[in-house]
Amino acid sequence: MTLETEYGVPAVAVHADAFARLVASVARVNGMPGARRAFVPTPVLNRTPDELRAYIEGDDPVRGRPFMAEVVDALTKPVPPEELRGVGLDRSTPRHVEAEPGADMQRLFRERGWTDMLPVVLPTEERVAAMLEGTSHDRDEIVGSLRPTNFREPWSFTVEKVAVNAVMAGAEPRYLPVILALAASGFTARNSSTSSIGTMVVVNGPIREEIGMNAGIGALGPYNHANATIGRAYGLLSQNLQGGSVPGETFMGSQGNPYAYSCVTFAEHEEASPWAPYHTLHGFSPEESAATVFAVWGNVWTEGLRESWREKIQAMIGGLEPFLGTTLVLDPIVARELVSRGIPDQEALIAWIHEHVRVPAGRYWDTYCARNFIREDAELGIEPFASYATAEPDAAIPLFEPHRIHVVVAGGSTTGQWSAFSGAPLDPRFRLDPSLSPTVSIDRWR
Amino acid sequence: MDTTVLSPVGFPPAVTARGIAPQLDGLDGRHLFLVDVGFENSGPFMQQLQGWLAEHEPGTRTTVVKWRNQHVPDPELCERIRAEGDAAILGVGL
Repeated sequence: MTLETEYGVPAVAVHADAFARLVASVARVNGMPGARRAFVPTPVLNRTPDELRAYIEGDDPVRGRPFMAEVVDALTKPVPPEELRGVGLDRSTPRHVEAEPGADMQRLFRERGWTDMLPVVLPTEERVAAMLEGTSHDRDEIVGSLRPTNFREPWSFTVEKVAVNAVMAGAEPRYLPVILALAASGFTARNSSTSSIGTMVVVNGPIREEIGMNAGIGALGPYNHANATIGRAYGLLSQNLQGGSVPGETFMGSQGNPYAYSCVTFAEHEEASPWAPYHTLHGFSPEESAATVFAVWGNVWTEGLRESWREKIQAMIGGLEPFLGTTLVLDPIVARELVSRGIPDQEALIAWIHEHVRVPAGRYWDTYCARNFIREDAELGIEPFASYATAEPDAAIPLFEPHRIHVVVAGGSTTGQWSAFSGAPLDPRFRLDPSLSPTVSIDRWR
Repeated sequence: MDTTVLSPVGFPPAVTARGIAPQLDGLDGRHLFLVDVGFENSGPFMQQLQGWLAEHEPGTRTTVVKWRNQHVPDPELCERIRAEGDAAILGVGL
């Protein structure tokens, strides 16, 4: 689109056909519904040169005409005047839900894509007013903006809009500062990525006790009202305040992610941890309350540190995708065991993983993430990736750089459970604004 | 049934009309830039496209180039295409 609008060059964008609805939607909200486009079958990934040639010589699966005829026509056929001008839209949204008297509002909310398909608490004026008692901020204050992916337009929202979604999730007013902080973070919990990004939220500081969050037994499970509804509110507000999370249009995750129901929201067990609270490593003091947003895809689990713990860590983390990073969630028992085995703090554990969890360069580069994201950095000469790109295929290179390895302590010490999540705070290139920090102040929203 | 509930939807920005560039009167004698936007296998796709155009549109000159970063437009490359080219085919987008 940039070539057309800013440089005046006619340009055809070729897409895989699975993205046809998304492409039409993006063209419409960019004011150029007639943007030139053509489609080939999905997938393009892993097709041989002969198979790609067959795509080119075959039909556009969306339009049902020869692909190259679509391309040539797009560049040479006369363009209707309205497409030369583009099409603008006024998309103002009403404050109240417009519905027929007696309408089934639960069904209406579900059918408009405003829920997670589970029943919601209807956000009446009274309930929203009660929720707003949870913050000193004015209901009309702009909180921030969100979008499902980098190439879509950000939508903005107010404190009241966040409160509406908090009511729907069943949250209590005293949770609202945490929910506002997550909304203001700029990180959506309903990312459109084909990789089905999930979200995890870790809360630190005094707010944990004040609102009764769980950092102990079952912290990551459905056993605490604050944990459960703050996470659900974050998911609902993300999809509703960013303009939707509709499969095929504003959500393209191939399999989806079960973490999206709860956004895996829990408190760090600071009191039981031998280490400094997570947020104090990211710009906050222990007396401040903060929430951190992690982008996670899945996790692997084990119990305790056995004699072969080093090999176990290497195996568990060594199979994860490069670039995404990893976040270890350790029961306090495990953190203390690590201390007793010569790992004095998180920084030491991170340094150990960076140094000792290595994979052959050939396997590193034979991954989607390395080929699509790290390769860009290598081609720009950014180290250490430029050196990794020239390493021999069997050379052992670090799977993760230190800043992509994170450690959190949570659990009730019933056993030495620990998990390695695939994922970490989202890479800056995918953030709404690269300067945004994934660790955000909760106190600002009290 | 209560129908006076608040909408949970955010505020979308207004959509500003943006027109597309005028069409070419044909491909013969034109210079097409084939832009690999950086997604995996986009480069091989553009090479195959270049081969097809060489066979079927021999009067059309083609140059395969690569977008520097798949997430943001590449201003230097856009300037080059405007200066040296007549049109572009970009892909393969997700």
